[in-house]
Amino acid sequence: MKKSIFLYSLVLILISGAVVASNYGDDVYDSNLIAPIKKSKKDPHENYNKMMDVIMSPRCINCHPNDHVPKQADDGHPHYFGIARGENNHGFQAINCATCHQNTNNDYSGVPGAPEWSLAPAEMFWEGLSRKEIAESMMDPVRNGGRTAEETMHHLTEHELVLWAWQPGIKADGTPREIPPVPLDEYKKAVKAWIANGAVIPEN
Amino acid sequence: MSKAKKLSRRKFLVRGGLGTVGVLALGTYVFRNPIRRSILKMVETLPPSYMGSGTEANLWFELTQENKVIFHSPKVEMGQGSFTSFAQMIADEMDVRLDQIEVVGAATKTGIVDVLSTGGSLSVGSLWQPLRELAATMREMLKIEAAKKLSVEVSSLTTNDGVISNGLKTITYAEVAYGITEWNIPDTPELKPLSSYKFIGKPVKRIDLASKVFGDPIFGLDAEMPEMLHAAIIRPSKIGATFNSADTSKAAQMPGVVKVVQIDDWVAVVAESYAQALAAKRTIKVEWNILKEWTEKEMREMLRVGKGRLMITQKEGDAIDEEDDELVSMIFTSPIGAHAQIEPNGALADYNNGDITVVLSTQVPGKTQEFVADALGVDKDKVNIIPAYLGGGFGRRLNTNHAIQTVQLSKAVGKPVKYIFTRKEEFQNDLFRPPTHHIMKGKLGSDGLIDSLEHHYASGDVAIGAIILPGLLNDVLGTDIGAMRGGNIMYDKIPNHRAEQWHTTLPFATSWWRSLGLLANTFAVESFIDELALKAGKNPVELRLAQISKEGNQKRIYDVIQLAAEKGNYNDTPMNGRAMGFAASTDSNSPAAHVVEVSIENNQIKVHKVICAFDCGFVVNPDQVRAQCEGAIIMGMSASMFEKMTIEDGELTPTIYGPYDMALMKHAPKTIDVHFIQGADIPLPVGEPPMGPIGAAVANAVRRLTGKRLTDLPLKL
Amino acid sequence: MKIEFTINGVLQSVEIEDSNTPLLWVVRDVLNLKGTKFGCGKAACGACTLHVDDEAVRSCSYAVKFAEGKQITTIEGLGSPQDPHPVQQAWIEEVVPQCGYCQPGFMMATAALLNKKPNPSDEDIDNNIVNVCRCATYYRMRKAIHRAAELTQETNLKTQENV
Repeated sequence: MKKSIFLYSLVLILISGAVVASNYGDDVYDSNLIAPIKKSKKDPHENYNKMMDVIMSPRCINCHPNDHVPKQADDGHPHYFGIARGENNHGFQAINCATCHQNTNNDYSGVPGAPEWSLAPAEMFWEGLSRKEIAESMMDPVRNGGRTAEETMHHLTEHELVLWAWQPGIKADGTPREIPPVPLDEYKKAVKAWIANGAVIPEN
Repeated sequence: MSKAKKLSRRKFLVRGGLGTVGVLALGTYVFRNPIRRSILKMVETLPPSYMGSGTEANLWFELTQENKVIFHSPKVEMGQGSFTSFAQMIADEMDVRLDQIEVVGAATKTGIVDVLSTGGSLSVGSLWQPLRELAATMREMLKIEAAKKLSVEVSSLTTNDGVISNGLKTITYAEVAYGITEWNIPDTPELKPLSSYKFIGKPVKRIDLASKVFGDPIFGLDAEMPEMLHAAIIRPSKIGATFNSADTSKAAQMPGVVKVVQIDDWVAVVAESYAQALAAKRTIKVEWNILKEWTEKEMREMLRVGKGRLMITQKEGDAIDEEDDELVSMIFTSPIGAHAQIEPNGALADYNNGDITVVLSTQVPGKTQEFVADALGVDKDKVNIIPAYLGGGFGRRLNTNHAIQTVQLSKAVGKPVKYIFTRKEEFQNDLFRPPTHHIMKGKLGSDGLIDSLEHHYASGDVAIGAIILPGLLNDVLGTDIGAMRGGNIMYDKIPNHRAEQWHTTLPFATSWWRSLGLLANTFAVESFIDELALKAGKNPVELRLAQISKEGNQKRIYDVIQLAAEKGNYNDTPMNGRAMGFAASTDSNSPAAHVVEVSIENNQIKVHKVICAFDCGFVVNPDQVRAQCEGAIIMGMSASMFEKMTIEDGELTPTIYGPYDMALMKHAPKTIDVHFIQGADIPLPVGEPPMGPIGAAVANAVRRLTGKRLTDLPLKL
Repeated sequence: MKIEFTINGVLQSVEIEDSNTPLLWVVRDVLNLKGTKFGCGKAACGACTLHVDDEAVRSCSYAVKFAEGKQITTIEGLGSPQDPHPVQQAWIEEVVPQCGYCQPGFMMATAALLNKKPNPSDEDIDNNIVNVCRCATYYRMRKAIHRAAELTQETNLKTQENV
């Protein structure tokens, strides 16, 4: 009798121990991914911080590398297959950005895409820099492609390639790519306000 | 002319004269371990033998009106070039030109397929004798009929380029065959002397070259049938996951979807196009039962020397005393390997009132036929498996039972269905190369030579559990003969040497992967020998040569070691930032040795040069044997230096090229020289043996360059 | 949706419901040109490489809508047994293919490279030719690429002489 109770409970344990997991098959796209909105109290540099939270995200840094090699994914690993800047920021002659990346994301392949897909020019490298260094570089005409503050604001808030960061599509494994930590409209407002208020870069 | 049999019809159907001795026949004699070991040794050195179903009157050759010979090959072509070698044999014995021969994979309904598989690097060797005999017999049959048609004596006839002549009158093979319904089959004629062959032994171009350069639709996934539909099947990602339930409500409404099919424990979408099937598949939510979430660590703990089933596969002299102060010991490992062949698996199937046709890339048309017939409850002769050219095999297609599901889908929708795996499914539902764990133990004698050497190794399934071998074989032999490849010590003059296999079945499928255990076993054994040579202060080539006999089969190993060292100018001292590495192996009776030259660039191992000496007996096509060596060397580098599957979150990963790091153009050595020794007068295995030494050779070079002994594959600094 | 493009010199019009369907499947299953291969569907292996307006494109990751009005070339249009492209000629001379499945993608990538860089260095080849070949035919492929460059130059010289 005792033995059978023991066996019975063992079976129960096995059953309850069984995990029922779900899976969407090969390609998953969850569009309900919403970034957390940080509430902060009266941060004097709130606009700057929101903007930099976005800029520090892999969606931005990955295309502003410090070594001519585009980076991929949230861990910022070097682009697979030895892809590099080439002579014109678009890769090599027969394997360039447009060989795989088109004007839109591709849900079949998980390859991201947006208009003007390319690396930022070498002098605009951000990878490895601090928030402050990136902000300085961004506002420095020598390192920002000769842009005025107004033009920089335009790049940051209107350029389709930049806006792609909030619609980055799905990865090769079918799961959604991470978006920047600040919602797009909030980010746009923050950038505009920061520029309008003199683009002050705090010490820390 | 005696024993002439009457066989009917236009099918040219030649049979008989086929040797069917194979490894399976040996099982019955094996009972005790010492005998087992000698059998295992025999298995390693048996000449290749043909295992075809040669007793049925089936199609071998066809003659077309254009005077071309179509050979229905019992073996499939997966890149190894065997179709070309078959054409060479036929051309020389049937007296036709290469461009008069077409080779196709035999379909199970009409042709003779190898009852086991295409694999083991056995295609050319196993058909060497029977195919030439068949071709010669066919030539004589044609001459007999030609003599009748031309009203001349058979003995006055000669044959050339598919034309029969007595010097005055001529007739083509096709003209002879026309209208003949009964053939006289003479005794097997004597084969021509090797020296008289025009094609055999010469570097002829692959006969499938044009098809492959101009993009002809020759592969399994290229097949078409009228009104064909397309299917995607959902497969689990987690190890050990079983089907619980599926919500398919959205999928049925998706554009182009013909039917969502749920059979037993799997779900599929059949749609008008493959893209539509994929899009609909994305909307299906499957609940899986997962009893256990496996980790890499747990798997590694299962798979180690001392765990699982032990079989001593080699035992000479005494075991090493564990307390011996002179004992040297090292641990080596290799990871899970994926096949990663570029053509995904799939099949095109038609179920038509119990008549079944399947076109696919498979190494086992015969077994696939059996399994499909069983699953669908029809007679075997109702199932026609048509093997296409394979977009890579490497052992992955030694189980193509997805053909069953494809037939079931065709039955469910009443039309032909083409099914294709996604790449993620390929990576997660592979039959992987098992990971391995090795403990090497050794001891030098007072003369500085190796006195004792032991290889203890643990592996997952290779041959055990495979559909092409009956379970009986493994029980009888008591060992996994696939995992064993390269596991035994070939240095017979080491007084005490042994090999012990520990076998464990892992929670995911592992099986055949080009060269089986050879790559990992040779890596462990040959790395360790290099280490012992360093300890002894001896040149590693001289040490090897001192410990191997110069007699019998061992001489062939001795000779390749010597030739590779000589052609590669092997020097054990690094120079100008480069070092050489040496390693050798023998597999399926074909010894190979490599000298490699490496440097370190940007903290990466760079292989500049590989010099290979190889004895695969008689070389039928030097150009393609060379190609196999080049490919085996680079694929072996890829597996030894880059590739690795791991378990994360209960899943096998990665699931795509790139993250599954493989050798690319930039990693290929700029020099690969291959030197042949013909140590046997028959063709011996080619495709796998040259893979053996490459991992160890690279590791040995790195050791000499950096002082660092790399003991885990893939090799990382 | 109707999409029109020229493929291997022939104007084609295809009617397709989902204009995001990868060009690969339209080429293979609608136009029945099977030389362009499916390998991974993730633009990683390069087996599906073809040319769009002379540029190498991985067609498994190229929505068919982008092909509107473009000139597409596949392996079937690169050359023929009677008139092989220099890349195909070189591939034959060096006997490159083994299983052959990835080879059209490699030849298309090579042809695109030679368009831009008629005499590529080893480094150019290493950078540009990053398709995956499981049979690992890379050793002969490199020789064939250099040979194709020579053949292209010979062809160009002949053309100039004729002009």
